[in-house]
Amino acid sequence: MGKDTYLRKILGPERLSKIRASKVLMVGAGGIGCELLKDLLLSGFGEIHIIDLDTITLSNLNRQFLFLKEDIDKLKSLIVAKNVQSFNYFDCKLIPYHGNVMDTKAFPLEWYNQFDYIYNALDNLEARRYVNKIALFLRKPLMESGTTGFDGQVQPIYPYETECFDCLEKATPQTFPVCTIRSTPSKPVHCIVWAKEFLFQQLFSFSTLQEVLQDQLRGETDDSEEIDRINKEANELFALKSLISQEDFPSQVIRKIYDEDIEKSLRLETLWKNREKPQVLDFENTYKGPLMDMLSDASNESILSDDARSCTLLEILYIFWVSIVRLQKRVNENQELDILFDKDDEDTLNFVSAAANLRSHAFHIDLQTKFDIKQIAGNIIPAIATTNAIISGFSDLASLNYWNSNFETKHAKTTFISIKENKRATSAAVGPPSKKCASCGQVSRGIANISKDMLKMTVQDLLLKIIKKYGYGDDISLLLGQGELIYDYDFDDNLESKLADIKSFKSNEILLIQDEEDNWENLELYLNFVDGDSIFDLPDLTLRPKPQVELPKEDEDKNDDNGPELEAGFIEIDDEDEPPAKKRKIQEEIEIL
Amino acid sequence: MSLSLCKVRLQEERKQWRKDHPFGFYARPKKTADGTLDLTRWDAGIPGKSNSLWAEATYPVTITFSDEYPSKPPKVMFPPGFWHPNVYPSGTVCLSILNESQDWRPAITLKQIVLGIQELLTNPNPDSPAQEPAWKAFSKDRATYEKKVKEQAKKYANAT
Repeated sequence: MGKDTYLRKILGPERLSKIRASKVLMVGAGGIGCELLKDLLLSGFGEIHIIDLDTITLSNLNRQFLFLKEDIDKLKSLIVAKNVQSFNYFDCKLIPYHGNVMDTKAFPLEWYNQFDYIYNALDNLEARRYVNKIALFLRKPLMESGTTGFDGQVQPIYPYETECFDCLEKATPQTFPVCTIRSTPSKPVHCIVWAKEFLFQQLFSFSTLQEVLQDQLRGETDDSEEIDRINKEANELFALKSLISQEDFPSQVIRKIYDEDIEKSLRLETLWKNREKPQVLDFENTYKGPLMDMLSDASNESILSDDARSCTLLEILYIFWVSIVRLQKRVNENQELDILFDKDDEDTLNFVSAAANLRSHAFHIDLQTKFDIKQIAGNIIPAIATTNAIISGFSDLASLNYWNSNFETKHAKTTFISIKENKRATSAAVGPPSKKCASCGQVSRGIANISKDMLKMTVQDLLLKIIKKYGYGDDISLLLGQGELIYDYDFDDNLESKLADIKSFKSNEILLIQDEEDNWENLELYLNFVDGDSIFDLPDLTLRPKPQVELPKEDEDKNDDNGPELEAGFIEIDDEDEPPAKKRKIQEEIEIL
Repeated sequence: MSLSLCKVRLQEERKQWRKDHPFGFYARPKKTADGTLDLTRWDAGIPGKSNSLWAEATYPVTITFSDEYPSKPPKVMFPPGFWHPNVYPSGTVCLSILNESQDWRPAITLKQIVLGIQELLTNPNPDSPAQEPAWKAFSKDRATYEKKVKEQAKKYANAT
C-alpha cells in the first residue's frame, strides 16, 4: 500500500497531483506555524517555503512541538524544516528563510510570485497587513489565521473576489499618554503601567535610561509645570534609590511615593478642577503600626502567594513591604544591580501588583487581584496549544478546496472556534470585498515594470502614459510613499522633472494614482525596477467606477451617528460575543472538504 | 508599505479644501527637499474673527498627520509661546475635537478643524488650561489678557 493511499482517496487523484505539484509559502513558524507545517506536509504539498525571523525560546516549548530543549536559541525557520524530516513521507521540498517578511530587499514582490498559495501563521498586525497587501498586488490566494486563548479564526482571502484582511477594521494597540500614567491615572491599567514601567525600573533596573523619558515627554506633553514636576519626581526617585542599602528603605519608598508625591501633585490645582483629588496614604500615622504587627507574624506569608485574593489595603502594604525587602536584599547581597520585571519572578510581580494597587487606592480606582495584574503587566495573551492545532487544521483543510476542479471563490468559508458549547466551531461564507476598504474595495493594484533607463522620462511623460493607459480624465494626482505628492491639478512644479530626480520614485515603492474627477477608482502601482532597456510596462487593468466619496457633507454632519463611514466601530477578531461574521449566515455544520 | 487610507484621505482633504475653503484661511502641504509636497505636514493660517480682539491678523499653525490618521487626529501647533489659555507653551492646541479620547471623529474635515481653532481663539475654554500665563490673565486680569492678545495680533497682522 502506498503511503499516499488514504490521501489519494480523500482528496481524489486529480487534486492530489495538483497539490503535489504546488509550491506554497508559510509565513511564521511559531505556535500556529509548527502545527500548520505538519498539516501541510501530511497533505502532500510538493514544496513549502518557510519564513520566520525568530529564535526559539524556552517559553515556546509548551506548545510549539517541533522544537526541543536543545533547539533553544536556534533559528525557528531552520529547525522546523529539519525537525519535520522524520515524517516527511511525501518527500516535500522544504526551504527555510531566516528573515523579516517585510524586508523588501530580501523578499521583493517578485519573490512572492513563485508561490501558488500563501499561509499566514503570524502573531502581529503589521506583518499580517503587509502580506495581505502583497497578496492583493499579486492576486495570490492567502489563508489568514489567528488565535487568542480558546478563540480562533481562519479567513481565506481571494484578492478582489472575497474580503481582504483590511476589509474588517482591527483594534489598534492602545498606548497611554505620559501624563495619564504619571499624573492623572483613571484606570487600573494606568497604575499597572506606572508601577511596572516607571517605579520598578527607577528603583531596581539599572539600565533605565533617563533620556528616553525626556524624549517621550517632549513628544507627548506640553505643560511645562507638569514636565518639571515629573522630572523632579524622577530625580528624587534616583536619590531614593541610593538609599537602598539602608534599613528603612521600604518605609522611605512608601512615604515618598504615596504621601509626599501625592501631596505635591495635589498642589497643582488645575489638574483636579474636573477630576477627583487623589488621597494621601498617611503611612506613619495610620498603617505603620499594624503593618509592623503583621510583619512579625510569619504565618502571614501565605498572603504573598495567594494570587486570587482580594487584599485589604493593609495586606497590600504588607506585600509591598516584603517585596521591597526581598528585592533590596537581592541588590545588596546578591549584587543584582539590574533586576528586570518578569511576571514569573515572584518578587517583581509582588512589587508591581502591590505598587499598582496602592496607586489605584490613591486615585480612587478599583483594586485588582494579583492574578489580574499579572495578565496585564505580563502582556499575557494566552496561547493554547489545542486552539493552535485546531486552527492550523482548519487553515490547511480550508485551503485544500482551492485545488478542487470545481472550486469557486464564492464557496470559500471562514471558520471560527470558541469554548462556548453551542459555538465550538462555526463557519460562514466569506463576504465580497468591502466597498469601504481602502486596501481593496476602493483601489485596484498592479505591478509596473520599469527599466532604469526610463527614469529619464519626465513626470509629465509618466502622467500622460498613465492617463492614456487607464482612461482617466486629465485631472489625476500622483502620490508616493507616506504621502508625498508629486503632481496634482494645483501642483505642477515637477512636470518637467525627471523621474530619476524624484527620490522616492524607486523600486519597491508604491505609486498611488487618484482621479480628481471622482469617476474612476484609485490605482496603486508597485514600482518594480527591472534590468533591460526601454521597458515601461504598466499592468493591464480595467478600473472600476469610483465608489461613493467617504467624506460626509458638512451640513448632514449635524447628526453625529450616521455619516462617517470611516468611523465604523473597531472589531476585534477574538471578541467572543460579537464575532465579525455575526451578521452573516452562520452555518451550523462545517463542510470544508 | 503604509495603509492607503491615510494617503487617500489626505489627498481628498486637499481636493475638498481647493474646492471650498473659508474666506481668509489658507492651508498647504509643506514642500520636501526633493520638490514634492508632504501631505502629512501642512502650513495653515487662521484669521482672527472680525470685531474681536483677534481681528485683522492671520495666525500661523502647522498641522501634522500621523500614519494612523484619520483613526487618530492630527496635531495642530501655533508658534511656541503663543498667547492663549488653551495653547501649550510648545504651541500645541488643546481642543476637544483634536483629542482622540474626547471628540475626535475620523469624519472631521480640515475645514472643520481650522474653523474650530478660529472659534477657540475668541472663546477660550477656562476649564482646560494649557498654559499658566494666558490662563491666569484670562481668569483674573482681563485687561492684561486683552492687551497681550492685541500685541500678538499686531505681530501677525494682515498685510494691507
